[in-house]
Amino acid sequence: MTGASIQSVDRAARILKALAAGSPRLGVSELAERVGLAKTTVHGLLRTLERQDLVEQDAETGKYRLGPELLQLGNAFLDHHELRARSLVWADTLAERVGEAVRVGVLYGRSVLVVHHVFRPDDSVQILEVGATLPWHTSALGKAHAAHLSPERRRTLLSGPLPRLTGRTLVDPHAIAIALDEVAQAGYATEDEEAVIGEGEIAAAVFDHGGHPVGAIGVVGPVERLQVAAPPEALVVALTDTARRLSWEMGARRGRRGAGIRRSVAPAARG
Amino acid sequence: MAIGESRRRSPARLDASFVARWLRSSAADIARNRDHLTQLDAAIGDADHGVNMDRGFAAVLSMVDSADGLTPGELLLQTGATLILRVGGAAGPLYGTAFRDAGMFLGDRSTFVLLDLVDALDAGLRGIIKLGAAEEGDKTIVDAWTPAVRALQRARSGEPPGATRAARAAAEAGSAATTPMEAKKGRASYLGPRSVGHQDPGAVSTALLFAALDRAAR
Repeated sequence: MTGASIQSVDRAARILKALAAGSPRLGVSELAERVGLAKTTVHGLLRTLERQDLVEQDAETGKYRLGPELLQLGNAFLDHHELRARSLVWADTLAERVGEAVRVGVLYGRSVLVVHHVFRPDDSVQILEVGATLPWHTSALGKAHAAHLSPERRRTLLSGPLPRLTGRTLVDPHAIAIALDEVAQAGYATEDEEAVIGEGEIAAAVFDHGGHPVGAIGVVGPVERLQVAAPPEALVVALTDTARRLSWEMGARRGRRGAGIRRSVAPAARG
Repeated sequence: MAIGESRRRSPARLDASFVARWLRSSAADIARNRDHLTQLDAAIGDADHGVNMDRGFAAVLSMVDSADGLTPGELLLQTGATLILRVGGAAGPLYGTAFRDAGMFLGDRSTFVLLDLVDALDAGLRGIIKLGAAEEGDKTIVDAWTPAVRALQRARSGEPPGATRAARAAAEAGSAATTPMEAKKGRASYLGPRSVGHQDPGAVSTALLFAALDRAAR
């Protein structure tokens, strides 16, 4: 946070985040304590946020919770997300073709945000993972995206915290760097019970017109079916084919990296 | 003769029939709580924990019924293999590993004492932790299994009924304590703060296993 940030906006954002974390309803005193501000300040901010429907007050308890306008904002974020919008049809087709769940994710900071999720086409109960965030190195989506970033951005990712989610999570930066090189070489990334026990994922990066990665699309499911250690060729072909077509839709030029040709050199410019 | 009635001085010997009683009792408990486990899992998971565990333990039950002359360790090993094969999701590999590692610890001895059981269950816990990298407080099986093993370790000089009763209570308390936790491991962690306020289904099924152990010891 630089000195240029506007204090009241910053405080309002902290209040919203506090309400989003943990207890669904908080009183003014509790909130004031959590964000480290005076009660009167928090009260004023809450009233302003309430007028915008960003928070609402429970009539009975007087406590505050998140407001309905946030759903609109969240939906607008998803609706305006170009990769998500363009992946809707492709993800459906891929899920149908391979008979497994499909996720589309984008790297934000050190996490992969799931922007689209198509359920496995069977009758099983599944939970929608849109909006979920995963540490980038524990997800095939994150690894597929990161493998094509500029060396500087890759270094930044590798030098930060790398939490362990299972016994199989790669947490050694050196080992992850080698894995990323392999991903760039192969054209797809795998994740083998590195985020959740029993589950694996295979993902390929999606590129924009400049050849930069904008996110990744992946097939996710039980490890015994996906065989992520040595994924069935049909699955890999269906996935990389989909990623390639999605890249074309995002403006990637045919025949470029990510649009068919497997190269491991990251773009020197942006990333 | 119930174990508690054995002579005071020498520690009670446990055998394959004790392990079989534990497994049968576990299967019955899981079956009874199938819908409850599934409901818990619906809040923060795939809504299949009860169904998966019931399927797995039904298979364990038929394995126990047809197992003739297996040692206690072999029974636990077979249970582990069955659970890995028949229970999906994370629970299969985790519970499967726990029973397998506990079975490997007991080896081929035909009888054992409470001390051995404590160490076997501790070996099972270490298997779970190695696979899942979960710590206490992460809202997982570990939150029920760890305090249960600790209670057994504290009571290891005592006789089985008292020790297993303590373990049962500890697992129960541990599973109850997962409700206010934010999930740090497993699919529930995708929900972040939204996982708060829900009991972890894995911790609850672990508490059922320790309740069954206590019944088997009586």
